[in-house]
Amino acid sequence: MSNIVLSVTIALGGAFSVAALAQSQVKPPDLTGVWAVYRGARGGDPKLAPTEAGPLALKPEYAKPYEARRAVEAEANKRGEQLANSSALCIPYGVPTMMSVAIYPVEIIQTPRQVTIISEAFSEVRRVYLDRPQEKLEDVPPGYYGRSVGHWEGDTLVVDTIGIKTSVSGYRGMPHSEQMRITEHLRLVAPDYLHDQVTIVDPVVLDKPVVYTLAYKRTPGYEMVEFVCDNNREFVDEKGVVRMRLKDH
Amino acid sequence: MRINVLRAFLVAWRRAAMVTAAALVAIAPALAHHSFTMFDMTKRITLVGTVTAFEWSNPHAYIEIDEVGEAGELKHWSIELGSPSILMSSGWKFSSLKKGDKTTLVINPLKSGQAGGFLYTATLPDGRILSNGPMRQP
Repeated sequence: MSNIVLSVTIALGGAFSVAALAQSQVKPPDLTGVWAVYRGARGGDPKLAPTEAGPLALKPEYAKPYEARRAVEAEANKRGEQLANSSALCIPYGVPTMMSVAIYPVEIIQTPRQVTIISEAFSEVRRVYLDRPQEKLEDVPPGYYGRSVGHWEGDTLVVDTIGIKTSVSGYRGMPHSEQMRITEHLRLVAPDYLHDQVTIVDPVVLDKPVVYTLAYKRTPGYEMVEFVCDNNREFVDEKGVVRMRLKDH
Repeated sequence: MRINVLRAFLVAWRRAAMVTAAALVAIAPALAHHSFTMFDMTKRITLVGTVTAFEWSNPHAYIEIDEVGEAGELKHWSIELGSPSILMSSGWKFSSLKKGDKTTLVINPLKSGQAGGFLYTATLPDGRILSNGPMRQP
């Protein structure tokens, strides 16, 4: 009898400890695949749809020139002119804008040590290292993709990015300093629906973090299309306006 | 009577404006790397002619076309399309058009009045009508 009690106790104890272990080491979901930008659908589940950031809380010295630039762009737009921007010149978007460009998908390749994200537009590539710590801000050369490290918190991939150079245009064209830090939470919110909640903090430029969520839907079987910008006929004229180059034959 | 005519006109005008606004919202995502501001999206013109080049390239594909005028005179146009990725989702292939093909294009012309525009639809030699990406359905 006592043997039976002992066996049951051991068995139950074993089961509990396995459960506890499973809790602390949840197998991360597999995000590998091609993901189309999901903008929500009429009548669709609002929980799957992306969310915009509210008004940008730029510090006054950055808000003024930002608003002035937006006004000039809007005026040009009314005249039927687009003022030059980087993408019209085929300069890549960088982080975080590359994560959602028009209707172009992103491909995620997940391994235990690295998550690689490829955007179809401009074939941009990000590498998120899972097996090493982040560098100090002053040790990362500013660039388009900066340096990204990540780790799993249960079912969520948390990505930390620093080192985006100030000429890389941000969310809604917002300015940023070299101290900008981007934290992303990538999580499957439903089977084949992925959210990337993006949080941007910048002690120099922002009074409050900018937070928005991008949404994606898995597209099995899709083959990424190459995108080398070798035939850009848009050019910027002497007034800074984007024009189209025409041919005569 | 006059008021009724006026009212009917206003309703029709408002409806047209709404359709145009909806069309503009729908087209916005199709252009990744520049806006459509330079094209007159409220205007559509039809070009009938011969393809001189079909460039399957990024950031845009292009159709070069010699339009045949009423008196037989030729006028050359450069027409911008979406990118190959966007076009493929509307049934286009790199080989959908080639030099010498006869085609009919419906385009939004450049506001500048130059002989260029943004494709709306193209009629291929086999009679199929393809749109300029999923956001530009006829």
